[in-house]
Amino acid sequence: MKRWITNLGAALLLALPAGQALAVGPMMDWDPAYFYFPAPQPVGLSPANQPAGAIMRCVGQISLFGPPLDFLNANLATKEYTFFIGDLTSLGTITAANGSLEAYITNYSGGTFTLYEDPARNSVFAPNPENGQVPSTFTDGSAPLLIGTFTGLTVTTNNFTQFKVGSIEGNIQWTGGTLIGELTGGGNEPCPGLFTGGATWNTSPNIGIPGYMFRHDGKLDLQCPTAARKSTWGKLKTLYR
Amino acid sequence: MRSRLATTLFLAACVLVAVPTAARAQSLLFDYVGFDYENPKAPGSQFGDAGNGYVGLGTVPFLFAPLVSNTTLNEYTFVIDGLTSTGFVTVGPFRVVNYTPGTLTIYEDAKSGGTTADFGTSPPNLVAPPTFTDGTAILVGQLTDFRFAIDNSNGTGSFEAVFTVTGGTQSGNFPLNQRVGWTFSGSTGNALNIPAGYAHQIDGQAFLNEPVSVRRTSWGRLKAGYR
Repeated sequence: MKRWITNLGAALLLALPAGQALAVGPMMDWDPAYFYFPAPQPVGLSPANQPAGAIMRCVGQISLFGPPLDFLNANLATKEYTFFIGDLTSLGTITAANGSLEAYITNYSGGTFTLYEDPARNSVFAPNPENGQVPSTFTDGSAPLLIGTFTGLTVTTNNFTQFKVGSIEGNIQWTGGTLIGELTGGGNEPCPGLFTGGATWNTSPNIGIPGYMFRHDGKLDLQCPTAARKSTWGKLKTLYR
Repeated sequence: MRSRLATTLFLAACVLVAVPTAARAQSLLFDYVGFDYENPKAPGSQFGDAGNGYVGLGTVPFLFAPLVSNTTLNEYTFVIDGLTSTGFVTVGPFRVVNYTPGTLTIYEDAKSGGTTADFGTSPPNLVAPPTFTDGTAILVGQLTDFRFAIDNSNGTGSFEAVFTVTGGTQSGNFPLNQRVGWTFSGSTGNALNIPAGYAHQIDGQAFLNEPVSVRRTSWGRLKAGYR
């Protein structure tokens, strides 16, 4: 029994983190992104109610890249990095309440994330999308750098925040794009992406834009498993002698 | 004489009465990203339990007017501290935590010769917060009405607060009638890059309200308002 426990412990230790510097910065950060619901919008659509079947899309401007995409510079005058999220489908809003305090949780299915590089800094959050500029000025440029599919996304809103703030978070499985090979984290397959950040449905000028539901301040992290290094029983034992 | 002087001063102040506009345009002041933790934290307590302190720290990659920055030469960091949970209410899977007032400070530290921000693990530690608080405090703001809502079913959340400029070497860049704004941030406990000992990854922005307008009036009109 004791030997079994020892073996188990040793086996776990073999998978110790490799001691690599942890990349704590986001792979990409945007500032800002806006979510909208293209026409025809379902009856009763609001931040507190996104009826089942409602289609949500998003456009955003990348402001910063981190590892492993830190060779890209989002601040060059000659390049623009934008993304488009297509066709997230609402599964309906669930309301949780405690007296007059209410929280609204909406899960989405489907949806694609596509990252573009464009030689022209021409993207415009034109009001009341979709229109002649949205999403077209966010989807022009070169062949997509990254393409991914959402495996789930959740929008949380409420009626108890002073400035109307909540969050939007989802997970992405990468499927293509010219840079997909950069996302493997040393493995064979691309690591999943975590799309996360705060959202506000505040409509004050310069915060909200007519026709968009949410302003999203967020980022995308690469969710690579913690690295492990191969070792031998002998080397491991010497660590404890 | 003394009474009359006091009345005059009072009325003079009232002449410059603040008149908030209905829909106020706001401007992005800075964008920040980092991690948070609780300190002090009672042993065995959960995030947001009454008495636990809240600390957030990280980098500020983007700063906007009236702040003046040079991100090529300097590293900008932020520290949120001084907040203590006064308790929480539960709304479904959400824990909604309210806090006492605290501060958000932005520091400017030269990249050459300065100390690069380092989160380390299990904060507070030898490098965090110290590598975030070195340099010059260019902006100090008081945070009030700080409220953190966290969904314990999926680890995501957000916080918000009123932000009021109170100090820092660049506080003079802010007109006296434009020192109030607000901040919000998303939070997640699901990112695999959260250093050990930190609770959440946070990514937020702060906005500055437009100047509070004043309107000219006459002593006669002002007096009439009080008759």
